[in-house]
Amino acid sequence: MVDNNMITRSRSQWRRHSVFPYINGAAMILLMFVTLYPVINTIAISFNDGTDAVRGGIGLWPRVFSMKAYETIFVDEAIYNAFFITISRTVVQTILNVVITSMLAYALSRKRYILRKFITTAFVLTMYINAGLIPNYLLIQRTLGLGKSFWAYIIPTMISCFNMIVIRTYILNLPDALVESAYIDGAGDFYLFWRIIFPLCMPVVATVALFVAVGAWNSWFDTHLYNAGKVHLHTLQYLLKMKLATTFNSANAAMTSTEAASSTTLTTPVTIRAAITVVSSAPIVVIYPFLQRYFVVGLSVGSVKG
Amino acid sequence: MKKLVCLLLVLVMVGTMAAIPAMAEAAQEPITVTVFAGDPRDQPTSDNKIFKKIEEEFGLKFEFEFLAGDLDETLGVKIAGQDYADLMDGGNSAEKLISAGALIDLMPYISEEKTPNIYEYIKPYLKRLLDDEGRLFIIPNYGRQYNINEYGMNYVNGPAFFIQKKALAWAGYPMIKTMDEYFDLIERYVAANPTNEKGQKNEGFAILCEDWRAFCLFNPVQHLMGRPNDGDVIVDIDNGYKTEAYVIQDYAKPYYKKLNDLFQKGLISQDTFVMNYDQYLAKLSSGTVVGMFDQYWNFQNATDALRAAEMFDSTYQGLPIVYSPEQAGKEITEHYLNGSVINVNRGFGISINCQFPERLVQFMEKMLDDEWQKIVWWSIEGEDYYVEDGRLKRTYEQIQNAANAVWKNANSAYVLTNSMPKKQGEMDDGNKWDPMVQPECYFLEMNEYDKQFLASYNMQRPLDFFNDPITLAPYGEAWQIDVTVDQAANDAKAAFQDIERKLLPQIIMSDPAEFDAKWDEFVKAVEEVPISDFVDFMQDQILKLVEKNAE
Amino acid sequence: MHTVKTASVSKPRPSAYRHSFWKQLLQQRQLVWMSVPMLLYIFLFNYFPLWGWITAFMNYKPAVPLMENEWVGMNNFIWLFERPEFIRAIRNTFAMAAINLVFGFVFPILLALFLNEIRSTRFKRSVQTVTYLPHFLSWVIVVGIAQTIFASDGAVNKLLLSLGLVKNPVFFLGEGKYFWWLVGVINVWKECGWNTIIYLAAMSAIDPALYESAEIDGAGRFKKMLHIALPGIKSTFMVLLIMNIGHLLEAGFEIQYLMGQNVVMDWSQTIDIFSLKYGITKGQYSRAIAAGIFKTVVSIALMLGANMAAKRMGEDTLL
Repeated sequence: MVDNNMITRSRSQWRRHSVFPYINGAAMILLMFVTLYPVINTIAISFNDGTDAVRGGIGLWPRVFSMKAYETIFVDEAIYNAFFITISRTVVQTILNVVITSMLAYALSRKRYILRKFITTAFVLTMYINAGLIPNYLLIQRTLGLGKSFWAYIIPTMISCFNMIVIRTYILNLPDALVESAYIDGAGDFYLFWRIIFPLCMPVVATVALFVAVGAWNSWFDTHLYNAGKVHLHTLQYLLKMKLATTFNSANAAMTSTEAASSTTLTTPVTIRAAITVVSSAPIVVIYPFLQRYFVVGLSVGSVKG
Repeated sequence: MKKLVCLLLVLVMVGTMAAIPAMAEAAQEPITVTVFAGDPRDQPTSDNKIFKKIEEEFGLKFEFEFLAGDLDETLGVKIAGQDYADLMDGGNSAEKLISAGALIDLMPYISEEKTPNIYEYIKPYLKRLLDDEGRLFIIPNYGRQYNINEYGMNYVNGPAFFIQKKALAWAGYPMIKTMDEYFDLIERYVAANPTNEKGQKNEGFAILCEDWRAFCLFNPVQHLMGRPNDGDVIVDIDNGYKTEAYVIQDYAKPYYKKLNDLFQKGLISQDTFVMNYDQYLAKLSSGTVVGMFDQYWNFQNATDALRAAEMFDSTYQGLPIVYSPEQAGKEITEHYLNGSVINVNRGFGISINCQFPERLVQFMEKMLDDEWQKIVWWSIEGEDYYVEDGRLKRTYEQIQNAANAVWKNANSAYVLTNSMPKKQGEMDDGNKWDPMVQPECYFLEMNEYDKQFLASYNMQRPLDFFNDPITLAPYGEAWQIDVTVDQAANDAKAAFQDIERKLLPQIIMSDPAEFDAKWDEFVKAVEEVPISDFVDFMQDQILKLVEKNAE
Repeated sequence: MHTVKTASVSKPRPSAYRHSFWKQLLQQRQLVWMSVPMLLYIFLFNYFPLWGWITAFMNYKPAVPLMENEWVGMNNFIWLFERPEFIRAIRNTFAMAAINLVFGFVFPILLALFLNEIRSTRFKRSVQTVTYLPHFLSWVIVVGIAQTIFASDGAVNKLLLSLGLVKNPVFFLGEGKYFWWLVGVINVWKECGWNTIIYLAAMSAIDPALYESAEIDGAGRFKKMLHIALPGIKSTFMVLLIMNIGHLLEAGFEIQYLMGQNVVMDWSQTIDIFSLKYGITKGQYSRAIAAGIFKTVVSIALMLGANMAAKRMGEDTLL
């Protein structure tokens, strides 16, 4: 099966074709090394003995192997509940946020919609205004009474303006004819959104879902503000942050520290910090490839069009 | 007759049987106490043995909220929302809670009859503790010594000029007293030993300048002048408590001139001014830094690392270094250590939201009983310590346990008792309350190198290098004075700290010919802040405290 | 009287206009259901708390009931602009945000384009996954590694010395002139892969037919990049650009806080660090709010300006 195009291609193009992938590939491998280094370094430190790690200079492999940092994290019975809370909030928050945000993005992408300008402006401005911590706290804690409940994680995080704009831009780039023809057929907007636009938006929805999920997964400040006193509502990141802070504190506590501690009982902030990074980011890194296929390989837009 | 006795007995028995549950019920009606502590702590495990005991005896369960974020920010939102736990420990910003009216006055619940333990606990310090209207908001957590008054530790946990023990050993165990002797030894040692045993380059003197830990850069001056740690100011107690910012005084100049000198000779590296805390610890634990000024707790992790690597001779001995009379303009006696004093305004207060203040005060009262104090400090006999010839002792393993965070979460109530009043000093039978001060425990874990090192100096404890603690001045320690109440003083302090942290490294790194000019520039910049806003405020506060606390 | 009449002739009568507005709205009720509840939501969560802005004109203490605080007029703003530190903080924030803006577009887009050129799906995916990983490291870790690499005896200086490009180690971390660029480079290192995702998503919407026909026309690799891939992400790019121009007073907080050692504070201190240092930790909440209002006003002005410019040039706009 001889490809005609291949034959008609000029020699110079042929050369460019044969050299470029190698340069590109080599550059990519270099880039991978540069970005992989800190990650592997962190993993290596997390598996190193705490006291030894204080001496620094650990590269890509642990110097004195130890699981102590992980033991310290997982010996805490609360961590399993914290995993559960974090997963729950991430799932609920991501689903709600993505559906609501894309629905809004759809509405604001309809050029005929008469409230479009007003609502878009109202949303865009929220990206630049910040009322400060105390009024927000009083709203959620006192006015809405969401403190000490799971809803403090969900209710205040249902819409994201940035993501709305990203989805809206994507929708606007979809062929107009597609939507307009469906509109003439007498389809309602809910139908259009849910049946036609939303499936077409999978790459951007996956992107936004990733943004929301990572944000939800990593947040600890709302736990700190609203649920710090409720152990059963502690999230993973909050717990890990506390673990790191206590490790630091025990190194600094003047009156309670003993001079006695030997390396066998000690964990140090260096290794705990590394282990915490691994524990908290591993799950989201693992699910990444499942989302990635939507936007790295891309959808065949043509097939949907037909 | 017999019948009567029987009847009486029965009556008594019935009476007691009826009375016991009634009494127990009154005391033990189970309640949950919410607790906030302004520092990070681990949640205790659900089967923690000490909390079980507390629940059995007092019927109290605890719901803890510890601090993962910024203390001031957190207290700000709590105050704005009036969201207070029953027991509040505001940490280093507890004054904010008091001035916001978050805490109740505890004096109505405290008296010699109702709470003999607490009364005894605060009695010697009533003047310091009560405010102008005779109110007490916080029962201090530390610093009340019983039977004796001592430093409370066998080593200096605070500030000193530190030097590697091997450098002292190399010089034949000299007593180093003045700044010139100290730096001279470092210079000679590095000249004779350009590298350490592993061939790494030795560095004469390190200065940690990261963020708030930059105290390593400017605090030395006050100690060289024979004063204890008062933060940014020096207080002349012989001269009407005259207060001044020491870094810009003429007597600060010899120190920075000396550092400039060392920099020129390559004994201080430029990287010392940009290293972060981790890099600093890494440097110290590599055993290449001969000396530094610091507070012991700030580099504890490095010491642990050196010991774990069995590099005992690279661990540090603190020295109470002072200026020579020529440099200071007067004869200086070292004064690094203050006598122990009660920890004013640090510990638990009871919030206005609490429904059962009486019961919580009584709880703290009972916890001050000797039996409970033994549990607080030493834990359970037979499990966590043993008694031999009337002395309380721990095995090596028990000492290690007590320092192990994971073990503590299941076997100690320190997350609670850290903020509660405690007895320190000696028990009536001569044992120490704090296990780590108990000589039997301290010497058990001391390594052979340290024993031999101290023996060469004819000393027993690292603390013996220092003069005995001097009774704390009536104004306390000036660094504890809350500056945030005065806006102008506050701004001046912030601007001043920025300038010193920024310019002092530049002065140290400057060309010696330019040193004087740069120094004058620095002094001028600080005066233009104007630094007087801050110093005048401190002076004022110090005089107020002196007036209040003086005997 | 007369003028009113003319007006009513030239335009539809107000009542008729209103009538048609409500009628249209009724027609578009499904769109209303899809957007107005969200509008109410942000009014509650984003606009209602703005009552807090009045504290910028007070000497606000959280312990005092709101309206009983001392009013100080514009004093907090005046105080800010009289501080040389604040002016420097504005300069630093702006400079670093500008560097981040440029780097934050150039590198992720380049990476996205070159990733798009990789034929092997597996390799493409691995590169993409690996480059995005540093996003999950905290700033403490990234800055810690950077400080080691850029130290006088660090990898970068060793490389420069061995190549003979410098005679003495460069004092990267101790001299202010390097600081902004270091922040820019480290930001790229940590966030480049992550920021690529959005462009990859945009490229996935490009009709494969376009590539096919270009190939038939004999278009080379770079031609295809230039004429197909880049235009394909142009609207995403424009929208993000306008959005980020509005964020020119937002340069991050943690990286400067951790990287900026005291010696270089004249170059490292950003508005947010200033607010923390002279505001929140000192109990001066009003100043932090005042600085926040200043930032908001400037940001919105910048964003609207950029939006208008884009409109003039006939490009995609944010609003």
